[in-house]
Amino acid sequence: MSGNKDSDGGWKKFVWNSEKKEFLGRTGGSWFKILLFYLIFYGCLAGIFVGTIQALLLTLSKDKPTYQDRVAPPGLSHTPRSDKSEISFKKSDPSSYSKYVQSMNEFLEMYNETKQNRDFYEECGTLPDTYKDRSMEEKKKVCKFSRSLLKNCSGTDPDYGFMEGNPCVIIKLNRIVNFRPKAPSNNLSLELPVKVSPNEIPIYCKPKRAEDEGQIGEIKYYGIGQGFPLQYYPYYGKQLHPDYLQPLMAVQFVNVTEGKEIRIECKAFGDNIDYSEKDRYQGRFDIKLTVS
Amino acid sequence: IEELEMRYTTSVDKGLTSSFAREVLERDGLNELKPPKGTPEYVKFARQLAGGLQCLMWVAAVICFIAFGIELGRGNLTSFDDLYLAIVLITVVVVTGCFGYYQEFKSTNIIASFKNLVPQQALVIRDGQKNQINANELVVGDLVEIKGGDRVPADIRIITSQGCKVDNSSLTGESEPQTRSPECTHENPLETRNVAFFSTTCLEGVATGVIINTGDRTIIGRIASLASGVGNEKTPIAIEIEHFVDIIAGLAIFFGFTFFVVAMFIGYAFLEAMIFFMAIVVAYVPEGLLATVTVSFTSTITSVCSTSVICSDKTGTLTQNRMTVAHLWFDNHVHAADTTEDQSGQSFDQSSETWRSLARVAALCNRAIFKPDQEGIPIPKRIVVGDASETALLKFTELTVGNTMDYRNRFKKIVEVPFNSTNKFQLSIHELEDPLDLRYLLVMKGAPERILERCSTILVKGQELPLDEQWSESFQTAYMDLGGLGERVLGFCHLYLNEKEFPRGYQFETDDMNFPTSGLCFAGLISMIDPPRATVPDAVMKCRTAGIRVIMVTGDHPITAKAIAANVGIISEGSETVEDIAQRKRIPVEQVNKSEARACVISGGQLKDMSSDELDEALRNHPEMVFARTSPQQKLIIVESCQRLGSIVAVTGDGVNDSPALKKADIGVAMGIAGSDAAKNAADMILLDDNFASIVTGVEQGRLIFDNLKKSIAYTLTKNIPELTPYLVYITVSVPLPLGCITILFIELATDIFPSVSLAYEKAESDIMHLKPRNPRRDRLVNEALAVYSYFQIGAIQSYAGFTDYFTAMAQEGWFPLLCVGLRGQWEDVKLQDLQDSYGQEWTYSQRLYQEYTCYTVFFVSIEICQIADVLIRKTRRLSAFQQGFFRNRVLVSAIVFQLCLGNLLCYCPGMPNIFNFMPIRVQWWFVPVPFGILIFVYDEIRKLGVRRHPGSWWDQELYY
Repeated sequence: MSGNKDSDGGWKKFVWNSEKKEFLGRTGGSWFKILLFYLIFYGCLAGIFVGTIQALLLTLSKDKPTYQDRVAPPGLSHTPRSDKSEISFKKSDPSSYSKYVQSMNEFLEMYNETKQNRDFYEECGTLPDTYKDRSMEEKKKVCKFSRSLLKNCSGTDPDYGFMEGNPCVIIKLNRIVNFRPKAPSNNLSLELPVKVSPNEIPIYCKPKRAEDEGQIGEIKYYGIGQGFPLQYYPYYGKQLHPDYLQPLMAVQFVNVTEGKEIRIECKAFGDNIDYSEKDRYQGRFDIKLTVS
Repeated sequence: IEELEMRYTTSVDKGLTSSFAREVLERDGLNELKPPKGTPEYVKFARQLAGGLQCLMWVAAVICFIAFGIELGRGNLTSFDDLYLAIVLITVVVVTGCFGYYQEFKSTNIIASFKNLVPQQALVIRDGQKNQINANELVVGDLVEIKGGDRVPADIRIITSQGCKVDNSSLTGESEPQTRSPECTHENPLETRNVAFFSTTCLEGVATGVIINTGDRTIIGRIASLASGVGNEKTPIAIEIEHFVDIIAGLAIFFGFTFFVVAMFIGYAFLEAMIFFMAIVVAYVPEGLLATVTVSFTSTITSVCSTSVICSDKTGTLTQNRMTVAHLWFDNHVHAADTTEDQSGQSFDQSSETWRSLARVAALCNRAIFKPDQEGIPIPKRIVVGDASETALLKFTELTVGNTMDYRNRFKKIVEVPFNSTNKFQLSIHELEDPLDLRYLLVMKGAPERILERCSTILVKGQELPLDEQWSESFQTAYMDLGGLGERVLGFCHLYLNEKEFPRGYQFETDDMNFPTSGLCFAGLISMIDPPRATVPDAVMKCRTAGIRVIMVTGDHPITAKAIAANVGIISEGSETVEDIAQRKRIPVEQVNKSEARACVISGGQLKDMSSDELDEALRNHPEMVFARTSPQQKLIIVESCQRLGSIVAVTGDGVNDSPALKKADIGVAMGIAGSDAAKNAADMILLDDNFASIVTGVEQGRLIFDNLKKSIAYTLTKNIPELTPYLVYITVSVPLPLGCITILFIELATDIFPSVSLAYEKAESDIMHLKPRNPRRDRLVNEALAVYSYFQIGAIQSYAGFTDYFTAMAQEGWFPLLCVGLRGQWEDVKLQDLQDSYGQEWTYSQRLYQEYTCYTVFFVSIEICQIADVLIRKTRRLSAFQQGFFRNRVLVSAIVFQLCLGNLLCYCPGMPNIFNFMPIRVQWWFVPVPFGILIFVYDEIRKLGVRRHPGSWWDQELYY
């Protein structure tokens, strides 16, 4: 860093000066001193740093995050995931959709009934109901959600309808600690063509573009009611609620026009569910479906 | 003359034939100074865009474009960040390039002013006829006629002359008009009387001559090409900045390349690794620095800071450039006159009868007159028509006796004999004031020894005493004394003419001298000198304490030069030259031990015979040097010799032929008033008042600016570490990116510019004029201690501050520090819309992206807060900030306020998140870095305390920059 290289001896002398026994312009003693100084200096700094981080962690609650302004309102995510939200496959070619099938299998693994028979799982009914406040429960119980509720998309058909060209997509509302989604009030329900229970967050999918109308024979919804039943909420966080299962919704697109890209938008409806121009997964998502 | 005719095939009567002239014109080209073949302007501009840092930034910009192009090609246009980045980088390069180009442009239009010197028309004799033609059509051999007021159209060998005088000041700097006559008086063409030079002015008289050189072959043309041939020596500060920029560029490439390789090893894709390289370059290169330095610090005054030798002219720079009466000798006493510029000094006893006679002679025997209508102007400043010594005498009598013009009218002048070089005296004969007294009064002045020869009596206390041996001896002593002071001495005498021999109406014949010119009555001696400026001795003293050597280079006589040098302190009291020692010890000059003599006076003649080694030797042995009788060309030799000895040389000059020396010097200083345009153009600095003291003030200013530049650079460099570490941690530990490139550019080019400029207004810490000039080889602008302290200590603390704030913001939003480690892959996965944080909450990609922007902003704020502490500690390098005062530098205070306001604007202005990736952050995150800011301040106070308490200790050596 210094201009030493300009001095008469040039680089070689700078690296090792045999006269003065200097390595890179310093003698051994000098190197020892400066390194010791930096050892202490950085030691102190690291100490301060670790100390402040520890102090920071002490101020944080294990149960609920300090702020949730970045994560709420919740996103709406789907399985299978895909590049650029495209799902395209050939009915006749299993390898073209095997990755989708595999990811759905993996995802539904934890919804196996066999995994839900420990004692803190409880039945929460098959009809939408209101919130279950578990704040008083010492060991928070978890509502069961069996994959069989997803019927055709539950894995009974090992191809999830892909082979027939009627693909399934599983939808979930992203988990947020202590978040109580509110069912849509009346004015919002107007958008919905079907009647829904007041205790659920309904999901509704439709082709996004007008010209895609009619390209899909039918969109079938499987799960509890038309969406996410409120008795599964709120979620108390990883620490208190470790085996929490969030309710799912499966959508099956039946009789999709082949060889054409169809944009489908799925939306969750609720008073505290919001949408954003910038975040295309907040409260809704759209996928491009191409079946051939 | 015949030889001349032969050589140039011309005729002294008829001139050339016009057809032959045309031929020659075709052969030699126009009689003009050709501008030197310069580099084309666009090449110069391109060179400004291709410096070390600039190249690096080009590469970074290209990588940005490639990255943007690839993203575009893939069809997902998620962000325009890369495009913005590329555009900003290119803008920075181009804008700083423009600044640099402008700076260079200012310094290279030297030849333009030479052009202005060319005369427009010339009177030429061709085919025996006088023609008025354009001067640029003149050719060698042409017979031209010049008269008073003309500019000499080419180098001319004078053939006939009638009282022709030329002003050579633009060429040689000699301000006195010089006679031109056909006789050859000297071998050197510059010294001889029979050559008039291109571009000089003919003041009076008429002359004809043959052109011997035209265009670029004239003396001035040769100087012009010499001046452009002498490489434009870079000013020391430019060298420093270049040195520093090279180091930065080298380190940036080194860092970038290392991490490029590391990234490739870890398994990043090639394009990703390229982007890392680009980001590291952006983070590491201080983009704003070039702009800051160009705008606030490259005033030419900065370049004088490292001056260790000043070669100064005498006339006009050290002295007032006007002859002034300094001493008088009458009544056997030397009386000192007042030589100060504003007449504030002591006067002498004017009661003696002798003084009245002397004053009368001085007033009457004088042809100089004031120009009319100058009543309001103080006497010393009035314009006088007449030569230098008569002017001095006129002003002197005006000051002491009063109203000289009226006085002369009362003593009506009958006849006068002007001064000439054979008589060496001037006399005039006047009627007396008293109309009843019919005697005539003869007054005479001249070279003292000649005057004394003509005297038989001497006036002492109003009594006429016979001039005996004793009086002669005391006269001699006085004459030698005054001469030894370097003063020009004149003798004065008078005689009342007998009214019987010379009754009223007597015809005085000046040619026959039909009146007595001997047996006169000696009145006294008056000596004159061009006195030093009042401020100069102090300034020279200051130079001495500041370790700057002052060398006088003058065309004057050695004795005068030495006297002035002793007067202003260039030769200090008690210093002796070799000759002085020889005289004192009464031994021959050869036996004197040369190292005993501190001072040395070398004349141009001696200098000519010296080899450059001998000159170096002399400069090394004698700390106090005076060069007298030097030609301006020899100045160049002296400058080169000083530079060989490792000095940074400042040179003053005013004539055209000083321009090579001015260019060669590290710092050329041209005279603003007396200087020619060519000299001003060749110079790095122009002295508006021509005063030596201003150079010293300049040095003081320059040293201050150099110190402040150091502080400013230290400030600017520091933040590069907290800008760089996020990337390094990001690459190696794979945390979500803590600080984005665009944010870095905002720090570099927006918030931190003003504070780093404001450091230029910092007051000096201590008496900077008591330090030795810096050694350009050792005391670099950016030394190891500065870089190490900024980078590895303050920069490190800032990085910790940034990371603490980053982890705070992450943890409070749900991402604990340990989870962050290794999170990068998932964090940046566009497909992943449900990534779980430490609480099991699921985040979409966009939510994570905004969280990342929050981190950028938080890191940005941390750097800002720490930089406020940084700018406060950079105010001083040694003193405590409390000693320096926090609010004395108003600019700095307002810069901090500005920085905070701008930071707030960036954070909280709506729309920022999507344009510049700034998020409105929580108020408490502004305060997380504050303890680190305080730590920086306290740590630096401890450092300064150690440096002050234990000078020379290990602590001082390692931590003082």
